Amino acid sequence: MTSNRIAYTSLVAFVSVVLTLVVVNLVQGSPDTSSASAGGSASDEAVYRLDQVAEHNHAGSCWKVIDGVVYDLTEYLPNHPTEEEVFTRWCGKEATLAWLDKGNGRPHSPRAAARLENYRIGVIEGGSPAPAPAVSAVPSPKPVTGDDNQGRMILGLAPGNYLDGTYRGNFIDRGQNQVGLQFRLEAGRIKGMSYRQLFYRDQDYLKLDDTADLYPVLRQYQQLAERLEGEPVEAIFRLYQAENVVDDIDGYSGATLRGAKVISAFRDGLNRGVYSW
Amino acid sequence: MVFRKYPGDLLLLGLLLLPVIVVAPGIPWTEQGWLYSLAELAGVFALSAFLLAGMLSARVPGTDPWFGGLVRVWVVHRWLGVSAFMLVMVHVLLLALAMLPVSLGASVTTLFPPLSHWQVWAGWAAFVAMLIFIAPTLGFFGTLHYQNWKRLHLLSAPALVLALVHTLMLSTTVWVWWLLSVLALAAIAWRKLLSPRLARKLYLVEGIDRLARGVVELRLRPKGKGIRWQAGQFVYLTPMDASLAAGYREEHPYTIASGSGDDELRIGIKAVGDATQALMDINPGAEVRVEGPYGIFFEETGGKQAAPVGPEPQRKQLWLAGGIGITPFVSGARDRMENRDRQRPAASLFYLANRPERAYYLDELARIAEACEGFDVHTHYMNEHGVITRDYLAGHCPDYAEREIYMCGPPGMISHLQTLLRHEGVPAHRIHTEAFDFL
Repeated sequence: MTSNRIAYTSLVAFVSVVLTLVVVNLVQGSPDTSSASAGGSASDEAVYRLDQVAEHNHAGSCWKVIDGVVYDLTEYLPNHPTEEEVFTRWCGKEATLAWLDKGNGRPHSPRAAARLENYRIGVIEGGSPAPAPAVSAVPSPKPVTGDDNQGRMILGLAPGNYLDGTYRGNFIDRGQNQVGLQFRLEAGRIKGMSYRQLFYRDQDYLKLDDTADLYPVLRQYQQLAERLEGEPVEAIFRLYQAENVVDDIDGYSGATLRGAKVISAFRDGLNRGVYSW
Repeated sequence: MVFRKYPGDLLLLGLLLLPVIVVAPGIPWTEQGWLYSLAELAGVFALSAFLLAGMLSARVPGTDPWFGGLVRVWVVHRWLGVSAFMLVMVHVLLLALAMLPVSLGASVTTLFPPLSHWQVWAGWAAFVAMLIFIAPTLGFFGTLHYQNWKRLHLLSAPALVLALVHTLMLSTTVWVWWLLSVLALAAIAWRKLLSPRLARKLYLVEGIDRLARGVVELRLRPKGKGIRWQAGQFVYLTPMDASLAAGYREEHPYTIASGSGDDELRIGIKAVGDATQALMDINPGAEVRVEGPYGIFFEETGGKQAAPVGPEPQRKQLWLAGGIGITPFVSGARDRMENRDRQRPAASLFYLANRPERAYYLDELARIAEACEGFDVHTHYMNEHGVITRDYLAGHCPDYAEREIYMCGPPGMISHLQTLLRHEGVPAHRIHTEAFDFL
């Protein structure tokens, strides 16, 4: 019967194709797997394979691999400023290139990088940071991740270990306590950072009405605090380019937002040690 | 197979499409994911077809006319099974293809993930089970003994369960699968567990008439309530006589040879295998079980037209019989004899045999032809005349191409006649055949 012959031919073709896939993968994939086992992640973060990520390739569950790190961006999707399709086409994929080039030749902002970290769920199996040229294409500091040692080294030169607890610190200049802040460290991460004092040229920023001209600057300081939430201590170094961390609310920001003052106050807090447990 | 709009066809089509209709809206159709979605869709269709094939194996007496008779049910069942088998392979290959853009490794791990992804391996197990039970059906490695084939075909139940596990664990819409699988598993349970007790009627062998060497007619009488049938239908017969050389408790299909009003259920049997050979020597008084009737050969089951597009009741008929394929026509002729007062279209029977000694039932058929208006019998002996030609048909029945045509016999004869008749311009819907070979 013809159907028998068609079915048999299909089976033979099917087995051939599957075997070809397996064999080619075996031959081609062997050096790959050895490097994967050598480059195992030191942290206890979840490790995913690309095929696992690939299952989350739609708006309902959207994972992306950026620079060797796996992010679950499903919940962020509605907030992405572009059309949904621009975002979802990279779901389930290695999306570093799309991250470095938004389509206009520009990378995503460090602010976006900071946000991105919130969606981190693990690293890719055998993953290594993106190739060097690609990294140098980013003009601003990369998000500080566990793999990035620069911040740690700097802190490592500073005295003391920072125990978990509540800290208070100040930045005092020209006889005035300009920035006073409080934060907690929990497992080495910044939590609940708030300002106790924001003073400049006799202006108490914390008492500004939301109609005041300088109110956007207060918002930006608050954003700095919000965006450090849950970050490791070294994340404060991002504030040297504070304009990359906060939203560009209006033209004032560049002139009056001083991330360096916040860093100084923060480090004052660390140096003074735990204020309360 | 001629597609006619039997009421059951719509039901089958609805059930086949139901999962797709339910599942499809949830499948994403993104620029890079469409191949993956297509793979999922192939899987959905495969399981639907598989479950439907399972449902069709129920063989509940009296329901097969909805689908154009049991023979057609088996044809659809087989077609669904083969489709499911092919679609499963398409499903797997599309999954592999969809992952290739990511990497070859991703593609292979999608097909062969770590063992912890047991849902995927359940799918593979289902495929292997399916391959094992479908291989002999499709003649991959030769054919099997009928009973062994039947036993092996039972692997379809675990294969179905495994396929179901695979799908339920990976699907978000589960109710539709539960619905179909309950129906399919109920059908298998009915066929294998319940019907042997509930649907098989007890009959006693009253007599055995030897018609020729290797051909007998069993005369059966019901112990209790028997079955009712129409001319040209068939039954499944299970000998309950342990002294038989073979075929004890094995069911096989046989055509009924008696007319619809006959008190006795008569069955013409030719020795073609172990089981039929053993029946040649069955003793009077032996018990047999009979399940049926099935089929709609003359398409008048239940006294009404089974199909909306059935044979035209006024059109004259041409009956073409070969070998033991004479039995449904013996039934038809006896039916005419018993109900001579009933108005029926004229019928010409051509009995195709190798030589006169192999034309069993011929004397009785000739007697009926004498007694019945509008029924005549012609013989065609292969040894004498060679293969039957259009001239031979036209010589004995000039309007043969205008008639409603019924044929039953070995596959070679059927295909020869079908080619001949189609060549003479007989439309396919006017040719009715009874499969002689169920696989």
